[in-house]
Amino acid sequence: MRKAQENGAQEAEAYAVSNKEAEVFIENNDLKQSKSDKTDAVGIRVFLNKALGFSSVNTFQRKYVEQAVLKAIKLAKISPADKFNSMPDIANISNSESRTSNANNGQKLDGIYDKNAETVSPSEVINMAADMLDSATSFDERVSVDSGNFASSVISHVLLNSNGVSAKEMITLFNWSIMGMAIDGPETSNFDFQFGGTHYVKGINVRSTAREFAQTVVNSLRPQKVDSFKGQALLNPSAINEIIQEVIAYSINSQIVQKESSQFGGKIGESVSSDLLTLEDDATNIDGLAASSFDREGIPHRRNVIIEKGILKTYIYNTYTSNKDDKYTTGNAGGSAKHPPSVSTTNMIVKADVSDIHELIKGITQGILINRFSGNVNPVNGDFSGVVKGGQYIKNGEIQYPVKELMMAGNVFAALKNIIGVSKETKIMSDAILPYIAFDNISFTAG
Amino acid sequence: MAADSSYIFDDLKSLISKGKGATYVEARYQSRVTNEIAFSNGELERIRNAVNSGCGIRVLVDGCWGFSGTSNVSKSALQESLVDAISAAKALAFTKKNKVKGLAESRLAKGLFKTKVNGDLDSIDIEQKVKITKDSEEQARKYSSTIKSASCLYHEILDHKIILNTDGSEVELFDSKPEFNVISVAREGVKSSSASEGVGVTGGWDDLFYSRDHLDYATQASHKAVKLLYAKHVIGERTNVILDPGMVGLISHEAIGHMVEADFVLSGSAVKDMIGKRVASELVNLVDSGSGIASGRSRRGSNSSNSKSISSNNSTHSSSYTNMPDAAGTIQVDDEGVLAGETVIVKNGILSSFLHNRETAYLFDTAPTGNARAFEYNDEPLIRMRNTFIESGNDKVDEMISETKHGYLIKGARNGQADANGEFMFGFQEIYAIEKGEVRDLMQGASVSGNAFDVLKSVDMVGLDFDFDIGTGYCGKFQPAKVDGGGPHIRCTAIVGGLQ
Repeated sequence: MRKAQENGAQEAEAYAVSNKEAEVFIENNDLKQSKSDKTDAVGIRVFLNKALGFSSVNTFQRKYVEQAVLKAIKLAKISPADKFNSMPDIANISNSESRTSNANNGQKLDGIYDKNAETVSPSEVINMAADMLDSATSFDERVSVDSGNFASSVISHVLLNSNGVSAKEMITLFNWSIMGMAIDGPETSNFDFQFGGTHYVKGINVRSTAREFAQTVVNSLRPQKVDSFKGQALLNPSAINEIIQEVIAYSINSQIVQKESSQFGGKIGESVSSDLLTLEDDATNIDGLAASSFDREGIPHRRNVIIEKGILKTYIYNTYTSNKDDKYTTGNAGGSAKHPPSVSTTNMIVKADVSDIHELIKGITQGILINRFSGNVNPVNGDFSGVVKGGQYIKNGEIQYPVKELMMAGNVFAALKNIIGVSKETKIMSDAILPYIAFDNISFTAG
Repeated sequence: MAADSSYIFDDLKSLISKGKGATYVEARYQSRVTNEIAFSNGELERIRNAVNSGCGIRVLVDGCWGFSGTSNVSKSALQESLVDAISAAKALAFTKKNKVKGLAESRLAKGLFKTKVNGDLDSIDIEQKVKITKDSEEQARKYSSTIKSASCLYHEILDHKIILNTDGSEVELFDSKPEFNVISVAREGVKSSSASEGVGVTGGWDDLFYSRDHLDYATQASHKAVKLLYAKHVIGERTNVILDPGMVGLISHEAIGHMVEADFVLSGSAVKDMIGKRVASELVNLVDSGSGIASGRSRRGSNSSNSKSISSNNSTHSSSYTNMPDAAGTIQVDDEGVLAGETVIVKNGILSSFLHNRETAYLFDTAPTGNARAFEYNDEPLIRMRNTFIESGNDKVDEMISETKHGYLIKGARNGQADANGEFMFGFQEIYAIEKGEVRDLMQGASVSGNAFDVLKSVDMVGLDFDFDIGTGYCGKFQPAKVDGGGPHIRCTAIVGGLQ
C-alpha cells in the first residue's frame, strides 16, 4: 500500500488469500488422483484521482507484488474517474455496524475454523473419498459413479487498506461431490449430482451424500412419458438453487438495480412473492459454506433480511453501490483475490416452513417433483425453460413413477407469487441453505 | 513465478529425472496473464490484470496418480513439490482398485509452438482496449430509447507453457485467446428482454475483429434485444428445427462431444458399445479438432480438409494458409504433451472414435487424440473438447427453409448441458416460426432438448455454409476450458421447450 501511495494512489487495498488443500478425485468408480496444493494470491486495488486500477499475482514474493502494484497504478492512470469510487474507512465500519442490530461487531466468527482440521492427513482425505464411493456403489449394483471429489482446505485471508481497515481470519472447509448415473442393462438414467460441505471435521457426512445420490439415480430408472400439462412443481433445493436463487440474487443486487435491469427495481417495501417466502443473506451463519467474518472490502459481515414474508426489504450493496444510492453498505462486497470487489450474495438462506416433504407431496393434484433442472434461466425477465432431471410424476398427492423427456417452462417472478408450500427440510449448498418449495401454474412439455 | 524460459526448461528437465519411485513424471510450467475490461451503462465496471504462474507436477507411482502445484519455481520448491506429488500418489496405493497399467506412447510432441497471431495483444495499447470496450457499450446503449442498459466485456488470456515428461515430450508453447461480448437489455413497462453478440478466437487483435467491427456487435445485440421485447413465447412441441452454425456447434458439443469423452465412456456413457454403429444420419460427419479455421471447412470454399499441418522436431509452427482467425478452442499440443490433431468422431453417421488422454488411449489400444487439457498450472489434465463441429454438406440454406412446412429456425446459442443417457439441452436467443416454407415472426428464446441419437439420426438436410460461433465463455467439467464449435445450418427434429 505504501508503494501504491508513493506512486500517486490516494487509496489502496490489498486482499490476500492463502489456501492449503488436499484433494482426492474419483473417476469411473475408482479413486483417480491424490493432490496436494498450496496457492497464494494477492489482489491490489488502487484509486488514483478516483480512477480504478487492479492487478493480482499468485505469490507473496516482494518483487512480484511490487510489480502488481505498478501495474494497478498504470491501469488506474488510463481508467476514467468515477466519483463513487472509494474504499471503506474505520468510520464506515462503525456506522454500518450501528445501522444493523445483527452486526458481528467486527468479531471473528466462531465455528468456521476447526483445529481438528490441522491434523487431517492426506490418507484420511483418501479414506473419506473411498468411503463416499463405496457407500454409493454398494447401495445398488446398478449405480455408476462417473466422477467426484473430496477436498480439505485450510484458508487464511487478510484485508488491509490505506484508510486503516484491517481484517484477517482462518477458515477450514471440507467439501465433497459425487456425480453419476444408474445403468440397468441397456438403460442409462439421468445424471445426478450431489454435494456436501462443512467447516468442521465432525460435520463430514459423505455417506449421506452418497446415499442420496444413489437413491436418486436408481429411482430415475424406467421413466415413463407423460402428456404435456400445466400444473404444480415441487422443486428440490438443487432446482431452487438453479432457477429461483439465480434470479433473486440477480434482482436484489444493487449493481443491477442501478443499471435498471432488475425486476425488483423500485419495489422496496412491496410484495414480490407469496408470504410463505422469507429469505436472508447471512455470512454469519456458520452452517453456510460461504461464512466468513468480513466481506471483500473488510466490512464486517451481518445477517441481511432480504425478503420478509413476501415483502422486499433491501438490496445488497458494496461500498461503490452504496455511495451511489447514498446508503450504507450491507457488507456484500464479494470476489476472489484475483478480481476487484463486486456485489454478491454470501449464504442465501430461505427460511424453512413447517410442512414436511410428504405433506407437500400430498398437496399436489398433478405435478412433478424435480430433482435437478437442466436449462436456461433469464435473470432479466425471469423466464426459464429446460429439462426436468430425476423427475417424479405426482398425481392426487402420490408419487406415481419417474418421468422422461419432460421440459418445463415458466417465469420466476410469476412463480414466486404462486408458492403453495415450503418444506421444513433444508439442504446446505455451496452458496445457500434451501428447502423444497412447491409452485403452482408451471408448464410441462412432453417429448 | 514468470521465469526465464531457458532456466526453467533446464530445471524442469533435471527435475523430472529425479522422481524416485515414480514410473512417470510430468512437469507443466504455465504462466498465464489475464486482462479484462468491462463497461456498463457508461461506467467502468471492472478493469483487471491477473498473473497466475507456476508449475504443476503429476506423477504415476505404482499405477496411482499424484499431483502437486507450486507457484515458486525455484529448484528447491520444484523438488519439494515433486516429493509431495509422489507421496500423494503413494498414499493412494492401498485404496485405488484399478491401477494405471500404461500410457499410450504415440504422438508425443517436441518443439516450439506459437499461436498464429495477427495483431499481437501485448503490443496493443491498453488505452485502445479500454476505448473500444467503452465505445461499444455506448453504441449498444444509445441504439434506442428502449435499451435501458448495456454492457461490454473485453477479456484476453495469454499463456506461456513448458511441458516436459519422462516419455519424451518437450514442448514450449505460446497461446493467445481474446474474446469480446456485448449484452443489451431492453425494457418497456413490465416487459424486458436481453440479447448478446460476441466473438472469441485463438489469435490476436486483428483476428478478433476480422469478420466484424466491434461496434457491429453492439448494434446487433441491441437490435435483437429490441426485437425480442414484444416477441411472443413459443408453444412447446416436438418438431422440425433448422439450427444455425452456433446451435450446430452447441449440439455437437453437448449431444455427442461429452458422451464420447473416454473417461465418461468408461463409467457408462450411452455410446460405450457403439463404435462402428450408427448414431446419426449418414449426412452427419462430426469432428473434434485442435485447429479450426472456418474458411477451410465450407463446401463453398476451395478446401474442406484440415488446413493446418502440425510440425514437430524443434521447428516453429506457423500457418501460411490464410489470415482467417482460428477458433477459440484451438490448441496445437495438449497438456500431456501430445500433438492435437483432428479426430473424426462420426463418419457418415457411424461412430468412429472416442476422445482420449494417454491413459484411456492405452486402455482402448489406440492413439491418444490430444484432448488432455488443464486450465491453470495447478489443475491436472482432463479429457476436454477443443473445436467440435459438423462438416458442411450440400444443401442451400434457402432451400432448407422453403422445404419446411412447419417448424422453427433457431439462432443465437446460449449455454447447454449433456446427460448420461444421451439427453441433452441447450438454450437459444431467437426462434422464428417457419410455416409453408416461409420464415414468420420472431419469438422469445427458450430451450431445445432431445435424445442425441434420435436428433442426429433425424438430420435430413446439411447446409453448404460453415461458421464457428460458440467461442465466448467456457465449458465446465471441474475446471473451465476454452472451446468452440460450429458447422453449417442443419435441419433435424427436436423438442422445443415452451409454454403450455
